[in-house]
Order: sequence, then C-alpha cells, then structure tokens
Amino acid sequence: MKWLGLLASLALLAGATDALAQGPRLEPAPGGLGTPGIGGAPDATVPPSVPTEPTTPDLIVDLSLARVSITSAFQGESILLFGMFDPPGEIVVVVAGPPARETVMRKQRFMGIWLNTGRQAFDDVPAYYAIAASQPLQRLLARGAGGEILSLEDRLASLKPATPRDAAELARFRAGLVEVKRREGLYPAAIGQVTVQAGRLFRVDLPFPSRLPEGVYDIRVYLLREGKIVAAISRPLPVGKVGFSAQLAGWSAHEGALYGLGAILMALLVGYLGGAVMRRL
Amino acid sequence: MEIYLPIAELSMNVFLLLGLGAAAGLLSGMFGVGGGFLATPLLIFVGIPPAVAVASQANQVVSNSISSLQVQWRRGNVDFRMGLVLLAGGMLGSSAGVWLFTYLKRIGQIDFVIAVLYVVMLSAIGLLMLAESLSTYFKRKRNPDGPRGKLHSHYLVHRLPLKLRFYKSKLYISALLPLGLGFIIGVLSAILGVGGGFVLVPAMIYLLGMPTAVVIGTSNFQILFVAANVTFLQAATNGTVDVVLALLLILGGVVGAPIGARIAAKLPGLALRALMSVLILAVAGELLTELLRTPTSLYSLGAREVLP
Repeated sequence: MKWLGLLASLALLAGATDALAQGPRLEPAPGGLGTPGIGGAPDATVPPSVPTEPTTPDLIVDLSLARVSITSAFQGESILLFGMFDPPGEIVVVVAGPPARETVMRKQRFMGIWLNTGRQAFDDVPAYYAIAASQPLQRLLARGAGGEILSLEDRLASLKPATPRDAAELARFRAGLVEVKRREGLYPAAIGQVTVQAGRLFRVDLPFPSRLPEGVYDIRVYLLREGKIVAAISRPLPVGKVGFSAQLAGWSAHEGALYGLGAILMALLVGYLGGAVMRRL
Repeated sequence: MEIYLPIAELSMNVFLLLGLGAAAGLLSGMFGVGGGFLATPLLIFVGIPPAVAVASQANQVVSNSISSLQVQWRRGNVDFRMGLVLLAGGMLGSSAGVWLFTYLKRIGQIDFVIAVLYVVMLSAIGLLMLAESLSTYFKRKRNPDGPRGKLHSHYLVHRLPLKLRFYKSKLYISALLPLGLGFIIGVLSAILGVGGGFVLVPAMIYLLGMPTAVVIGTSNFQILFVAANVTFLQAATNGTVDVVLALLLILGGVVGAPIGARIAAKLPGLALRALMSVLILAVAGELLTELLRTPTSLYSLGAREVLP
C-alpha cells in the first residue's frame, strides 16, 4: 500500500491548490463571535474536495483518503490530513475513535503466579485518540484555548467508571488503560507536529495501526488565534472492513451456525484433498 | 507478506502462519498427535487473541484428522465401537467445554486457565513418557530378548460396571472408562483448541490397554468429530472461528504432515517417544516461565462493548 501513500502525497498539492481556487466546503467563518463550536455537519454523500459553498474560508481541510478500508491486505494506514488557513494562527488536530465501554484488568502475583485479580470498566472510552498541533500543545492550551480541545490526559480524566471506586485506584486503572492503548498504537503518543508551510499550508500524518476498531472516527481541526478558537471543522472518517474480510466478519457475527458448518466443510475438503495430493508426491 | 485476519482483527505474516501449520503438521506426521498443543500456545504468543486461537485451531484439527483418518481407515485400524463410546463422551465434554470457555472469558480468566492447564497436562504427560522410554531403554539393554509380559495389566478400573466387548481392541472393559476419557478430552479440546491426541493416545495405551495398532486410527476418529463439534459451537456461540487463519494453518499442515511421517519411518519408536517427551516438556517449561515471570505490563483490556 506504499504506492497509495505516494499517490496521496502527490494529490496533496493538486488537491490543495484546487481547493484554494474553487473555495471548498466549509462552515461560515465564526468571526470570533460567542460560540465558535464545530462547523457545518459534513455530508457523507459529498466526496471530499467537492465544493458546496463558495465562500472565503478561514480554514480548509481535506484528507488523502475519505475512509479507512480494512481489506485482506490491510496492515494499518497512514492518512494525510492537509489544508490551508488564513494567517496568523495555530492549528490543532484532534482525532477520536468511537466511544465504548472498556474493561481494564490488572495482574497480581498470587502464590508465585501472575493472574488477573482486579478489573475496572470505564464508559465512553474513545477507541482511538490522537492530538497534534502546529506548536507544542502544552503552550497552546496553557494560553487558555482550552474549551473543547482536550489533551489525552484531560479527555480521559473525564471518563466515567462503570462502578465506583476510590480515586487513587481509578487513576491507576486509567493509567493502565493508556498503557495498553499506547502499546496497541491506538493512543499514539506523538503523531508529530502539524507542519506549516508558507505560513498558511498545513499537513500532518495520522497513523492508524492494523489492530483498528471499526466505527466512525471524528476528526476535528481547530484554528486558534491568540489562544482562542476562531474556526473549527469536523470531518467523519469511517473505518470498516470491506470486501472479503467484511463478508466473512458479517457471516461470523450474524450467521454463526452456518459459518461454523462452512468452516468444518472447508477443513474436511482441504484436509482430504491435501492429504490425497501429498501422498501422490 | 501480511494478511488481515477478519475475525482476529489484526494483520499477520502469511509465512509465519503457514510455518506454524507446517510445524504442527510435522509433529502430527511424526507422532500421530495433532500438534495443536504446540500451535495454540504459539498462536497466542504471536498475538492472536486466545479465544480466536483456540477456536480456529479446532478448525485446523478437523482437517488434520480427516487426512490421517482416511489412511488409518483404509488399513482397518479403527475400532469403531470404541471410537463411538469415546465420541459420546467427547461430544458431551466438548459442549460443556465451550460453555466453560465462554464463562471464563467473561470473567477474564481464560488466558490464565489455558496456561495452567497446558503446564499441568504437558508436564505430567512429558514426564510419564520420558520415564517410560527411559525404563524401556534400560530394560532392553539388560534383557534384549526377555519375556514380553502380559498383554496389559489389570487394575481397579476393570471392576467398573457396564462392561462391553471391544473385539478389535481385544478388550472387555467397562464402557464408563472410555466414556469418561472421551468427556475429559472433549473439555480439553474445547478450552485448549487441541485435538487432545497427546492425552488420548497415551491414555488409550496405558489406561485402557488398547493395542498400539488401533490406537492412532481410533483416536483420530474421535478427534475428528469432537473438533468439528468445537468448531461449530465456537462459531455459533462466540463467533471466534477465523477461517482465514485456519486455512493458512491447514495448508501448512498438509505439507508438513507427510514430511513428519517420512521422518518417523526412519526413526526407531523409542527414540521418537523420547524426542516427543522432551518437546512436550520444553513447551510446558516455557509456559510455566510465562506464568511465573513478572509481566512487562500488569494491565490488559477485555472485550470492547459498544453501548447503545
């Protein structure tokens, strides 16, 4: 899939200039008014880069891929997020996977053997979480940008435990959750800075590991000026199996018995024929 | 070359999986056991979720046993009466095992139970086999043409009720014995994703006292149907059978098995048994270290639940 990435990089320049010339889909500039919330609901039927409202943008964003397709050859994917903004300003990108309940288990030594003794479930845990900015995030957020932009720590601090427990223990389980997610590449610690070129073009690579939960991911891009959000764009990124993988996963989930019979039949056939062929050799 | 496994939900090297299947096939060709006892821990070790590893391995066992069963069947090495009694126990055991598996998975203890069961069983069998091969070796050395002794010894187990005649095995024993044995193998098969041949074969020889010639064929007969039952139940209740993973293991096994059989034909039986016991003990040792060693991370995650 390396060539796809290459293609995407090539498309970046073309795409960005296109977008500039035609004025892409975007929400009206909030102009620093009261609530600069998330911009116009993205229309899933409109492919990226197709302009819908020609207006003067503060912020334009596009992705090198409209969706993450988990095919039989899927090994994880790196998606390029790129765009333009009206200088001056700083860019913050937040990617959050679909929320779900996660159960964290903790091992303890028991009579010399390590086994799971503690467990704690949390609600509303994002499957994936990555944040990047054009300046060190700490510095940007320290200036009071805050608002809805949350660092991973802040996002997880608000997690609701499914069952109550004392704060110190919860903090330990929360740290354990981050540790496991980091290891699986789902909470990438440093996805790298958003790089800005010519003062207005920006880009950042979003890494997605092969062990990627399915669902609709939410990508939000913020334009900050003097610590305040002046523009924001939200883009959904569907992540799902396609083709043969999707077919098999669907059968396994919905037609379990039939799938099981099919698996047995496959095994019998391949085993019988394979055995017969190998004995002739 | 990587391939995405749709049920395990991760991508893995094709050749690694083919190689694993081939190694399991090699063992099955050499020793007449499924090789699952080696493949399942290795699958878990390379990162396949235990539930998927066990269920998909059961699917591989189906293919492995049909391949050797057709040979044994043609040679008339299957005691069907014994096989059916074992199978009756096996069906009950494997159904109970899949239920137990689902329960253990829910309370988050399945990995631990799998590891402990492997360690206990593999060490016991490995040690027994090693002791047996060593004692045979020394006896033969002292008295190469000595008396063969009785066909088999008689224990308390021969006084159990419900006696049945097994003509092919030249046995007159209680049906409860093979029934119970089949049940235990069924439970193990469901929880560990093995055919159970490495327990069943020694048990048939030493516990039931069956003649070695019919042991492999008869155990294959029972294992085929039990593995099919496990595959079906795991697919229907847990949805954890990954056919892409299973197919790769099967293809590797198809190539590995005849090679193993050729090696086995060249090695004397005693050396073969000693070799296998060492292999079994090595796997048990590795799993035991895993249990005792301080883990790199104390934390792990259970299944994600998307709430409505």
